[in-house]
Amino acid sequence: MSFITCQNLTREYKKGDAVIRPLDGLDLEIPRGDFLALMGPSGSGKTTLLNLVAGIDSPTGGSLVIDGTDLAKLSRNKLAAWRSKHIGYVFQLYNLVPVLTAYENVELPLLLHDLSKRQRYERITEALERVGIADRADHFPRQLSGGQEQRVAIARAIVTDPDIIVADEPTGDLDKGSAHTVMQLLQTLNKELGKTIVMVTHDPKTTEYATRTLHLEKGRLVEAEVAA
Amino acid sequence: MQLTLNQRESMNENIMIIGTGSEEGVERSQIDAAVEGIASASVPGLKERAGVVYASAEIHAALPVRESRSSTKDLNAVMRGVRPIAFLVHSDVEILEGRAPRSGMDEIMVGQLAATRLGVPAERLAVGSKLHFDNRDWTISGRFAAPGTVMNAEIWMPLTDLQVATKRESTLSCVIVTLEDATFADVDVFAKSRLDLEITAIPERSYYASIASFYGPIRVMIIVTAVLIASGGVMGGLNTMYAAFAARVREVGMLQALGYTRSAIVINLTEESVFSAASGALIGTVFGILLLDGLAVRFSMGAFALTIDAPVVFTGFVGGLAVGLVGALPPAVRCLRLPIPEALKSV
Ligand SMILES: Nc1ncnc2c1ncn2[C@@H]1O[C@H](COP(=O)(O)OP(=O)(O)OP(=O)(O)O)[C@@H](O)[C@H]1O
Ligand SMILES: [Mg+2]
Repeated sequence: MSFITCQNLTREYKKGDAVIRPLDGLDLEIPRGDFLALMGPSGSGKTTLLNLVAGIDSPTGGSLVIDGTDLAKLSRNKLAAWRSKHIGYVFQLYNLVPVLTAYENVELPLLLHDLSKRQRYERITEALERVGIADRADHFPRQLSGGQEQRVAIARAIVTDPDIIVADEPTGDLDKGSAHTVMQLLQTLNKELGKTIVMVTHDPKTTEYATRTLHLEKGRLVEAEVAA
Repeated sequence: MQLTLNQRESMNENIMIIGTGSEEGVERSQIDAAVEGIASASVPGLKERAGVVYASAEIHAALPVRESRSSTKDLNAVMRGVRPIAFLVHSDVEILEGRAPRSGMDEIMVGQLAATRLGVPAERLAVGSKLHFDNRDWTISGRFAAPGTVMNAEIWMPLTDLQVATKRESTLSCVIVTLEDATFADVDVFAKSRLDLEITAIPERSYYASIASFYGPIRVMIIVTAVLIASGGVMGGLNTMYAAFAARVREVGMLQALGYTRSAIVINLTEESVFSAASGALIGTVFGILLLDGLAVRFSMGAFALTIDAPVVFTGFVGGLAVGLVGALPPAVRCLRLPIPEALKSV
């Protein structure tokens, strides 16, 4: 069994009589240390798959096992605890809390862990340094550029040292230069820290940083894997 | 206000003897000056100290007074003409400053809220200053307090002086007696048996309670107004809460994605809300105390003081907290009912 194993993975919504199936019996294996790019047309189920892997949504059919844990079998609170330990989520629109500084934003996920203030300080500083934004620790999101905000968000995603990073169009709102910086950063996290990364993207350029790219269409994988 | 009109428990012992038919207002009552002596002698068990029976012959009159001879503006004063025994019968009355007025000297004494009643600044009624009525200047010889009673807004003067000023030398408005061994029934029987005097006995407390019920509609109006203002505040508060929370749906989704449980988020949001509501309530209370406490309000029968006391502060503060709590829970729960992926999509 692979690090992340999806078998016949299905997510459907019932709207009256109609059934919408954004994910339709998907089989997928993601080995540890993979950097997977997911592409596909709008509405093909990319975000849906990502959210299942991140444990913020639950499958309606099939199974999803990550590192031996069957996510479908976890209660809501267990799943939250699992997320805080294993997942770092990077959003397209950063989702930083506007009234908190960069430092405090990065601190948020750490507050769920049993750490002293000192230990938190060390981890936050390390994460901010890794994304190259330690000098902006006291800045509020509104005082940062989009690229800088996304780097703070990446620091927030790695500060708890999760083994999986999921990113939904992390460069979708960034200019070319910032996108390059962010993608390089993700690549470094994958290569140097061995993070398993699952990324949704619309930009073919960004797939160059991934180890492989998969295409989704109507809730299924369409092509054979393309090795990078 | 109710406090003021309902009078205090201790007044239970005072019985007013007034003219039959004047139960609605002692100012209209006229009884024979002899009632004082007859009542003292006829009703056994009245309070008595050192040979003095607690029976206070009084004149209650609403009189226009002026600030000075040259002034043209009539101020409405409630006057009470009394003998020294009145200070014993009305044990609530306490002289704050100066002394009781002496008869024949054109002296008067003012209650704490008399200035408010007249609509003049408190300094205007300082001891030593004068008021003008009955074509004479009257010197204020003292100030008294009778907190929580209508007397607090009255002007007191020697009985004989007021009898002269109102040209009713041989009549009184009422006689107020203090019970000791006697009961109300004893005074009542006396009043009913003396048909010739045309008098009625009524406990002082009931008298003011019936005046209070006469002013009931005012109270209702005040309460309705207060409730309207308060509910406006609550609605505004709730609306603000909903808006504030709606703007934070995505943040709540993000926190859940990071691994925060729903209960942790509800507790956090509620804490935040209660904290801000508490700050609001605190500010409100401080303003209330600074602006309203001791503020005297005039009305036709007298004046009453608004008191912001411990229970009022407590009620206001707890009410504020309740808005924080009750206001936070529904929008917080609404926020959290959304599945995380949907919350993350909200703008
Ligand atoms: N809560 C929901 N209720 C009903 N249908 C939904 C819901 N969420 C998603 N869908 C449907 O599932 C399908 C896949 O959605 P998803 O967000 O995974 O697409 P996507 O591949 O991420 O698209 P995009 O590239 O535009 O982000 C869409 O057709 C969408 O309408
Ligand atoms: Mg999507």
